[in-house]
Amino acid sequence: MNIVLRLAWRNLWRQPRRTWLTTGAMVFSNTLLVFMISLQFGMYELMIDNTLQVFTGHMQVQAPGYKEDQKMRQTVPRIVPLADSLRDRFGLDTIAARGWAFGLASSDERSYGIGIFGVEPDYEPRVSSVPGLVREGRYLEEADATGIVIGSVLARNLRVGIGDELTLLGSGKDGSFAAAVVHVVGIFESGIADIDRNFAQMPLRLFQDMFYMDGDGHQVVVSAATLEAAELLLPEVAAALPDGAGLVVHDWDALQPGLRQAIQADMSSAFFMYGILVILVAFSVLNTQLMSVLERTHEFGIVMSLGLRPGRLGRLVMLETAMMGLMGLLIGAITGTLFTTWFTVNGLSIPGMEEMAAMFNLPARIYPEVTFATAVAGPLIVYGFTLLAALYPALRLHRLHPVEAMRVN
Amino acid sequence: MSSVRCVDLCKTYRQGDQDVKALDHVSIEIDEGGFVCLVAPSGGGKTTLLNAIGGLDIPDSGEVWIADQRIDEMSKGELADLRLANIGFVFQAYNLIPVLTAQENVEFVMQVQGVAAAERREKSLAILDEVGLEGLETRRPAEMSGGQQQRVAVARAIVSRPALVLADEPTANLDSKTSDELMELFTELNRHHNTTFVIATHDQRVMRYAKRIVRMLDGRIVEDLEQDAA
Amino acid sequence: MRMTPVLTRLAWRYLWRNHRRTIIMLSAIAVGSWAMIFMTALTRGMVDQMIADGISALPGHVQVHDPEFLDDPSVVNRITIPDDEFARRFDDAGIKAWASRVRVPAVVTSERESRGVTLLGIDPAAEREFSFVSYEDVEGRFLESPEDNGVVIGRKLADKLDTEVGKRIVLMSQDPDNEIADRGFRVVGLFEASMPTFEESFVFVGKATAQRMLRIGNATTEVVFLGDDYRDVDPTYQLVAERVDDGLDVKRWYEIDTYLGTMLRVMDGFVLIWVIVIFLALSFGLVNTLVMAVFERVREIGLMLALGMKPSNILAQIIIESMLLLAVGLAIGNVLAVATIQPLQDGIDISVVAEGMEMMGASSVLYPKLYLNDVVLANIVVLMLGFFASLSPAWRASRYEPVEAITKVG
Repeated sequence: MNIVLRLAWRNLWRQPRRTWLTTGAMVFSNTLLVFMISLQFGMYELMIDNTLQVFTGHMQVQAPGYKEDQKMRQTVPRIVPLADSLRDRFGLDTIAARGWAFGLASSDERSYGIGIFGVEPDYEPRVSSVPGLVREGRYLEEADATGIVIGSVLARNLRVGIGDELTLLGSGKDGSFAAAVVHVVGIFESGIADIDRNFAQMPLRLFQDMFYMDGDGHQVVVSAATLEAAELLLPEVAAALPDGAGLVVHDWDALQPGLRQAIQADMSSAFFMYGILVILVAFSVLNTQLMSVLERTHEFGIVMSLGLRPGRLGRLVMLETAMMGLMGLLIGAITGTLFTTWFTVNGLSIPGMEEMAAMFNLPARIYPEVTFATAVAGPLIVYGFTLLAALYPALRLHRLHPVEAMRVN
Repeated sequence: MSSVRCVDLCKTYRQGDQDVKALDHVSIEIDEGGFVCLVAPSGGGKTTLLNAIGGLDIPDSGEVWIADQRIDEMSKGELADLRLANIGFVFQAYNLIPVLTAQENVEFVMQVQGVAAAERREKSLAILDEVGLEGLETRRPAEMSGGQQQRVAVARAIVSRPALVLADEPTANLDSKTSDELMELFTELNRHHNTTFVIATHDQRVMRYAKRIVRMLDGRIVEDLEQDAA
Repeated sequence: MRMTPVLTRLAWRYLWRNHRRTIIMLSAIAVGSWAMIFMTALTRGMVDQMIADGISALPGHVQVHDPEFLDDPSVVNRITIPDDEFARRFDDAGIKAWASRVRVPAVVTSERESRGVTLLGIDPAAEREFSFVSYEDVEGRFLESPEDNGVVIGRKLADKLDTEVGKRIVLMSQDPDNEIADRGFRVVGLFEASMPTFEESFVFVGKATAQRMLRIGNATTEVVFLGDDYRDVDPTYQLVAERVDDGLDVKRWYEIDTYLGTMLRVMDGFVLIWVIVIFLALSFGLVNTLVMAVFERVREIGLMLALGMKPSNILAQIIIESMLLLAVGLAIGNVLAVATIQPLQDGIDISVVAEGMEMMGASSVLYPKLYLNDVVLANIVVLMLGFFASLSPAWRASRYEPVEAITKVG
């Protein structure tokens, strides 16, 4: 076995430049693949985490039909006790109850329509990143009777600052006229215009009063430590819900279908590109190995006339390919890792991509990370196709007749 | 007037860890219209001498004159032009460009020289006729016998009427009948057009046609005799 | 250059001498160039669509506002120049279309629900060219004049509000003194749009009705202009900027929707990078092929040099060989690309990821768009890079010494 290995290895180096060029093709593709795959999956995770952190959470308990229609009257009854019981049951404080309504906010000088969240000030910071983004003033406290926090763009548009008064108008759960006077206690800034312009948060108690909720709410947000943990938690939460109310639990994918879909769409186009790269490498290998086999027709003829079967020669060719492929795999995985790690340290920001990044809740500068999986996935696939490509020249050897072969050259 | 004049040529090669003296103070003069055979066993230096005369290989020392031009000090470009215009080569093997037909192979040199298309065609067909290959113009080398290939090579070598034709073992791969035919052809050309022929060989049949035999051994000329050609 | 015909003939025949290798290389180049063009056409199509949709939502190529309006979209920052004055300035200016409108944020309330929307008080005749709404496809009817008392809303909004054609809704906004300005409207039409968010955010009323409701006389908040090509806005911009001073602010579409503007530029960069990446992947094979071909031909090259051919001719011949290979491969790839894009002209249905597309601002049908510029760019880049890639093996071939080459035993 050893001699065959040695033979295969030396055959590769009969034409060093050719072997290096073919390996070069593999290394190039692999480096690109490692980088792009690491970047991709890092970005996806970031996108999901960042987006869910804003409002959605990992799952929400809602009234049936609320997800589609978002009507005021589709409520979760006795929402705070429910949230309390869930918190006790699972020992988690990353559970928060909310109400949501639309209303008109008026200051002295301006009026704007906004979305109004009623939140539990003690628990909302655990499920959402917004409370942590308060830049001026402070976030809500349970004791606030008339406090409200608003986004920075909204504050600017309404021409209000901390302490100023706002009048809120809307429709209550039963459709009746709802109104309240509130004071700005905090202004948050997320950097995302849509969020900073369109939303405000007030204590849930105040919300329930203003909108005649009768102790109801609209969403119980539940978050877990990781996406995987959330997946396991969901059925348990569903089971813990009181019977008869018909409440449902939606996971984040149902709440934000666009997220997974955007990722899928991106993955499809990425796979197309990866596929092309892999195919081009396969062509390269096919070319090289075919030439390498044809060159040795005479030699193979001699060997076969000495009694060696074509199958063994075919296996030799596959072995040569496997070795060369392995070189490409290892070197490519390493250079790919090094290349990506440079960006892990220094970050990657594509000029002109800032707006696009913001659209997907991504920071303008990304730090891709290489994991074993991302470093090896691409190169392994290239390796597989490399072996596949060499099948044709290897199988061709079965058609070789010793005498004809020796007549070549 | 002498066509070729070599003065005290020396050339040493390194082969492995040995120094081989391919040319050891070789001097020779060949007149226009001469028909010379350089004879030596393999490695005797005949190919090296031929290459030196043809401007393919610059000797380490000594002078090479072709028609009163000193060529051992010429640049590569000038040598290429010289070969193009004045010298025809026939090698032992691989004389032809395999992807060109016989006619195209003959036209090739003229094309490089800048001869117009019509003239090229005319001349190449005529010369192929002269060497007895009428009808085979559109064949590729792979479709011709060894002898036919050599004839195409000769046709190419002489089509632009060079003053000097250098042939290195031209009959090495040919059977006896074809060798004779080839040498007849050379003799014809030498007589008709006064072309100088210098042929390196160790084939007895070839030597019979020569007017002068120069024997070499280990890079030196050991014998230089005129004779009556066959 | 007179050598070119024979060198080209040699190059072509040498290519086909080893037809297996040439066919494999051609296939690789064809696949690579097909992928370049195909992918580019798909992405261009998507971006084109996105921009067209985005521009139809703005709408227009150039917009005019009060300088404070974009920051603070309130009727306090309105344009007080009346329509007949604008007509005087713009009707004969050579601009494809223009319209003035009232655009303000508002709240819409039905019996039970409220939503935040953007109120558009328009002159339907003037806006026909701009609008993303096809007036004829509206369920019910679209607005008929600026005095129309009805409101036209999107189907999705109607669903959310639990309302329908014939029912009443109330629109609420603020007047210049920050008093509530509200009015009841009857829903006269429901529209559908390729972008679901359009259906939820925009409501159309007659311009005069809006002006009365908001108590702004004959003022408007936005004037929009349409040119001929969104890629070349400057002529329109110049025309508008000249005729509008009055301290008003004139902006091009990509200055207002910077996301779309950057998309366009990012797309151009993406296309170039994709082409280069594919070429680089191909280049290894290309150089390999040339190196091998030259290696196999050492003796013949020596022969040619011995016969008096110039080294520069050898260089040229190898380069021509490489260029021929690329050209044929590219031709095949181009044809394949056109052939595969043609049947997809009616659009690729990607509604399975519709919401995801919406997040990006794209619709759920993908129309590939083949631009001559892109095709030419891809081909030129490949040929140019191919030229440089083949320089090394070609150079080495021309450096051979005739003697060594001829005496090289295979």
